[in-house]
Amino acid sequence: MAIVEKQPLELGTADTVSYAEKPLGVFTRPQGGRGWRDWLSTVDHKRIGILYGVSAMFFFLVGGVQALLIRLQLAVPDGSVLSADVYNQVYTMHGVTMVFLFIMPLAAAFANYFIPLQIGARDVAFPRLNALSFWVWLSGAIFLNTSWIVAGGGADCGWFCYAPNSGVAFSPSHGVDFYAIGLQILGLASLVSAVNLIVTCLNMRAPGMTLMRMPIFTWMLLITQFLLLFALPVITVALFLLMFDRVFDAQFFNVDAGADPLLWQHLFWIFGHPEVYIIVLPAFGVVSEVIPTFSRKPLFGYEFMVFSGIAIGFMGWGVWAHHMFVSGMGPISVAAFSLSTMFIAVPTGVKVLNWLATMWGGKIRFTVAMKFAVATVAMFTIGGLSGVTHSVAPANTQQTDTYYIVAHFHYVIFGGGVLGLFAGLYFWWPKIWGHFLSERVGNWHFWLTLVGFNLTFGPMHILGLQGMSRRIDSYARGYGFEFWNLTATIGSFLIAAATALFLWNVFKSRRDAPYLPPPGPDPWDARSLEWSVPSPVPVHNFDTVPQIRSRDDWWHTKYGEDSTGKVVQVATAQEAAQTGEATGVHLPSPSFWPLSVALGLPLIGYGLIFNLWFALIGALVTIGSLYSWALEPVDDPDAAHDDHDDHDDHDDGSNDRAVDNSDSNEATP
Amino acid sequence: MTTGRIVKPVAALRRSGGLLLTAMGVLIAAGCASDAELDTFAPQGPISEELHNRGVLPVFWIAAVVLVGISIAMIYLIWRNRVKNYDTDDEWPSQTHGHVPLEVGWTVGFFLTMAAVAALMLWSLPTVNATEDNTMAVEIDGRSVDWEPTVVVVGNQWWWEFRYYFSDQVDLAELRAHGDAKTLPPADIVTSGQMIIPTGEEIELIVTSRDVIHSFWIPALNGKRDAVPNRFSPWKIQASSPGLYFGQCTEFCGLSHSRMRMQTVALDPADFQAWVNNTSLDAVEPVDPEALAGQEVFAGICTSCHVVEGLNDDVFERADQASGAAPNLTHFANRSTFAGGIFNSYNADGSLNRTVLEAWLRNPSELKANYIVPGEQYRGMPNLDLNEAQIDQLVAYLAGLGAKPAGWIIEATQVD
Repeated sequence: MAIVEKQPLELGTADTVSYAEKPLGVFTRPQGGRGWRDWLSTVDHKRIGILYGVSAMFFFLVGGVQALLIRLQLAVPDGSVLSADVYNQVYTMHGVTMVFLFIMPLAAAFANYFIPLQIGARDVAFPRLNALSFWVWLSGAIFLNTSWIVAGGGADCGWFCYAPNSGVAFSPSHGVDFYAIGLQILGLASLVSAVNLIVTCLNMRAPGMTLMRMPIFTWMLLITQFLLLFALPVITVALFLLMFDRVFDAQFFNVDAGADPLLWQHLFWIFGHPEVYIIVLPAFGVVSEVIPTFSRKPLFGYEFMVFSGIAIGFMGWGVWAHHMFVSGMGPISVAAFSLSTMFIAVPTGVKVLNWLATMWGGKIRFTVAMKFAVATVAMFTIGGLSGVTHSVAPANTQQTDTYYIVAHFHYVIFGGGVLGLFAGLYFWWPKIWGHFLSERVGNWHFWLTLVGFNLTFGPMHILGLQGMSRRIDSYARGYGFEFWNLTATIGSFLIAAATALFLWNVFKSRRDAPYLPPPGPDPWDARSLEWSVPSPVPVHNFDTVPQIRSRDDWWHTKYGEDSTGKVVQVATAQEAAQTGEATGVHLPSPSFWPLSVALGLPLIGYGLIFNLWFALIGALVTIGSLYSWALEPVDDPDAAHDDHDDHDDHDDGSNDRAVDNSDSNEATP
Repeated sequence: MTTGRIVKPVAALRRSGGLLLTAMGVLIAAGCASDAELDTFAPQGPISEELHNRGVLPVFWIAAVVLVGISIAMIYLIWRNRVKNYDTDDEWPSQTHGHVPLEVGWTVGFFLTMAAVAALMLWSLPTVNATEDNTMAVEIDGRSVDWEPTVVVVGNQWWWEFRYYFSDQVDLAELRAHGDAKTLPPADIVTSGQMIIPTGEEIELIVTSRDVIHSFWIPALNGKRDAVPNRFSPWKIQASSPGLYFGQCTEFCGLSHSRMRMQTVALDPADFQAWVNNTSLDAVEPVDPEALAGQEVFAGICTSCHVVEGLNDDVFERADQASGAAPNLTHFANRSTFAGGIFNSYNADGSLNRTVLEAWLRNPSELKANYIVPGEQYRGMPNLDLNEAQIDQLVAYLAGLGAKPAGWIIEATQVD
């Protein structure tokens, strides 16, 4: 009898039966659980987002310590905290860490977590690829930092690593090898992620969500992914050539062998300038969500915001040589890039005024998230305007490669990017973790950050105009640099203190959470879909995939207008939100293969640097894992398959819905 | 809700005020800094003045006005629209989604602002690139030539070389055709660390490098120009009055990038002619026995990298360095700095800066980070394991190479 009872479980459809015979060499597909192993095999976009976020914050601390070392060295003239050699490694790795290991993955954390939630999807288009991009990124990040241990130091050529200084003759340590190979691995991760998120945005939006109804944050991230998609191949080519130069003596950048000494610069900045927008556009997206929510108004000029974002994305490709105004280009080239640089300020300025117009007539509540968002606008404005001042090519000849530029891009990247992402952390923290970050500690965090930031980078404007060069490991007494350098160092320690407060806030708010009222699904009375599901978000995101009838659909679910145009509440968030209690929702199954593929890549890297046999092992691991991945059963036969009606958003039906912008569809409850 | 603290107006003003103060501080402090030798806001020649007045100042004012405008708008909006909490205030403001004429308006507004900036750029750019066909009469080897004031500027890790061609003048096209910075045509004067120019003349610079990319910059006289290996880029400087103008390499060029400095000494034309007369001569055999012994040491050890004309220039081929070159020391004592423009050759009282010079000869790497690994190409000066007697002899020899510079130059070199 036992056999008879077992039969219905074992035999579902003919499909399931075929899995009873596993393909050769394929492990059983792991199943969901709550242990640490589940984090290694997870394909859940939310968990991957958290993994990205936590790792990024770790590297924020690493890059921050490097920043403090730089500031300690420069606090007084003739600094002796670091040797010239170590200083060059530290400032190089500070830049590389902050750009590739902090801001980009933190933006990726937000992108992974919130794009599916904002567009009403259950996951990204390719969940295993999503896991792959995280693990490849992490393996690249770790690989890059192991150069401190196994190569005796980091790269010492600057994050821009100009040829021919990057060649073996001038940078003989292995640090540059780790740079060239590590960044290729990191680029691979971003490339995979970009493809994945673009497909997700284009194909997996909930029914009724036309592109012009997509939340502005998702829009900015979509533009960012396109920038990544086109920018990363360029740097990858450059890095590949550099790697061949260094490892196999290929002579691409060897000037003595007839190479073009400026080729690297062009390749690097064709990537490097769009990279700036890759860093700030996600923060612009955060700010464009936070300011409307806490002004109680829709975003002013949504269409202008979308198209100015697209304009920035396009124009960002035509300005790269403004990093090279003094490299000896002819006057027509200089004028052309100077002009394009100026006019990219137009869409950026439009954004700033649209944020202000959103606040205009609004009711502004200054939560910590809102404070960070408004500070982002203010600080970015300073960074943008200092950018305008040296877009004038003749003026640029005085300012380029001085601390004026250091001030400028920290106002853009820290002031615009990091402050914006902090706004996002305070804004979405309750959604992710089910409890608020403390507003009281957050206030201190905010004010200390803002004061410390301005104290650190504000004086650098003055230092630059006083003629202090960038990337110098020390400066002599008597050039008038003493006072402002000391001020900047003090400021940097205020930022460090603020960051410590943030970490304390993370710890404290988690500790206090059980004694405080839960935030509920929509604590800020916000506008976009992620607030229509419980906090923290259930693993399947949406019980039912919502039907989108308008921009800010979630807000319109809660509020309507009476005959006089006055806003009236039609449902509370609690009433309108989904319960998150759906069962039997089909979800993508976990897999260890993404992790396994990623594990091989650093081995290939070490092999190229130290011994090619390692590379062989690494290649076997990676290729073997890819093969196993390909043969892995698509679905876990044991997972719930009882509800085929509401999970078909991974199927071909999604395309039709994506273009379905009919307003007449009735909303599903 | 546990949230909902608001910014008090004072706090809001304090923050926004901070922005303004920062911005204004930038302008004021940069404009007023008096002891900053590299100050970009203190032009000392017609080229840098024009650059400053056309290229720099107008756009700073435009940026300042925009910044003040946006800051005022932001402060006003914060002050006007802040509320304490929504719990007690359930009125929703009017849900304005946008206002197309307004948005088109400020798009056009920004466009016009940037068009103004663009016009400024196009107005100032030609002056940066224009070159004068000025010539100046210079006497060299007893005959007078019409010199088109030109200096070939060559970057090396981590020092600058300046080459003067009077007899066989070179131009940009010729050097570009030549294409190799390591085998430049022989010059009448080769010096390093300090470039000597005549006042009142526009000096054309032809900037190149022998190893990696450097950047030549004398902020008081003009902006900067990268020194790109085997590329020859035109640049120009001009000083209105005699003086010592400081500079610092501004393109990261490796280990001792921060210790790669240079000065430009502007002399009035008569003094410049005197300098040419002195420095175009070969070094003379010393008479002092100590210095003579120093010459022996030099000929035995230093000659593998350094040239002293009249001593080893006829046999010298190439310095044992990655760049293939080391400073020409024929008129070492004529410069007020040494070792890449970073140490003073003379004390304030005019005496030789013997302490540092001896320390340098004892072990250069202790004073300046150099890349010295046996078996690899040196970048910088190695430790020559000289004994104290040799060091004293070398100092005596070096102190006699060339005429001591004028007192005001030595004085101006003292930075503190």
